[in-house]
Amino acid sequence: MTAEISTIHLLEVASNSGVEAELRDAIEDAQLTDWRTHWLPALRTVHEQLIKRGVPRNQWPQSSHWDWPAKVAQVEGLLAFKGFCVVCARVTQGLMRIDLNQIARESRQAGKPLVYVDYLEVAPWNRADLGQAPRYRGVGTALLAAAVVLSREEGFKGRIGLHSLPQADRFYRDSCGMSDLGPDVAYHGLRYFEMTSEQADAFLPEEDEK
Amino acid sequence: MKLNRSKDWWLAHARREGDATIGAGALSLDAKPEPADQTSPIEAEETRIAFGRFVSLMRRRSGLTVERLAAAADLDASEILVIENGAHSTPEPRTVFRLAQTFQVSQKRLMQLAGLSAAKDSVVRQEAVRFAARSESVEKLTKEENAALETFVAILSEQDAKKA
Repeated sequence: MTAEISTIHLLEVASNSGVEAELRDAIEDAQLTDWRTHWLPALRTVHEQLIKRGVPRNQWPQSSHWDWPAKVAQVEGLLAFKGFCVVCARVTQGLMRIDLNQIARESRQAGKPLVYVDYLEVAPWNRADLGQAPRYRGVGTALLAAAVVLSREEGFKGRIGLHSLPQADRFYRDSCGMSDLGPDVAYHGLRYFEMTSEQADAFLPEEDEK
Repeated sequence: MKLNRSKDWWLAHARREGDATIGAGALSLDAKPEPADQTSPIEAEETRIAFGRFVSLMRRRSGLTVERLAAAADLDASEILVIENGAHSTPEPRTVFRLAQTFQVSQKRLMQLAGLSAAKDSVVRQEAVRFAARSESVEKLTKEENAALETFVAILSEQDAKKA
């Protein structure tokens, strides 16, 4: 399968200007190669600094041990799972795996199908929590927008759900307007967020998305 | 799937991200126990990826299908597929032993590469990362991949020669 590409724009922080990027509706070999040859070395540098500073491992940035080739291999050939990525300057800037098997919990849409964001991660150099200015902003937003569009295409009216990493709680609640259903004790205490179809319309008004 | 929005829309939303690190997923399901040695999880990951890449290239260089390699090494084809795909698992010692015999490289070094034993030095890990970075997961073995593979085989063999 060849990925379909949408042209998007990211904010390059250093120049404070927009740069063209690609939103692709697949995670392909090139992304896994980028993960191995760009993401891992960048994370290793961060880990070396954390070890040097004596930071305990349980306080290391979360998601830093995700194994994307394994996450892709787990669901290869399964139609209910899809991958997305953002590519800019010929390097993968963010990855997302979604699951179409889940149902909504929010009272206004409980029991209805939604697009569940299984995993979403931006490249280490785009993460301010690693103690640096991000290189690009907008990667997470683009992936989330892709989840909303896919939800509409699947007939789920923009409904999406996800378990947020703690450092992203405010973004999902305030910037995306998602409903915060609180910590999920069955899911390592991560807060569960849902976007209703009305919230999806506010976040990403429907335009020509075909 | 197509997503069409204006440049202004994208930049306005990018600015709204601020310094938030956006992520989602069951992070702790992936958590691994702290290793006894000082090898970081990322380092262990890198060497395991290199192990998968090494097995794949050696098989392809020999012109073997996964099934034929499995038969030659007396292994299950699914074990080889899991290793080559770099899936998140540590292979059985017997599997690594059989692969070392089949490819005629140091069993001890291959054990380290597979994450079954701790390395006493960082040479193999550094070389493994360099090797993995130089090789691509495409069908045909390129000249560069072949060169990277030859160098790495020499390093794996060299360690035993020194020991002897």
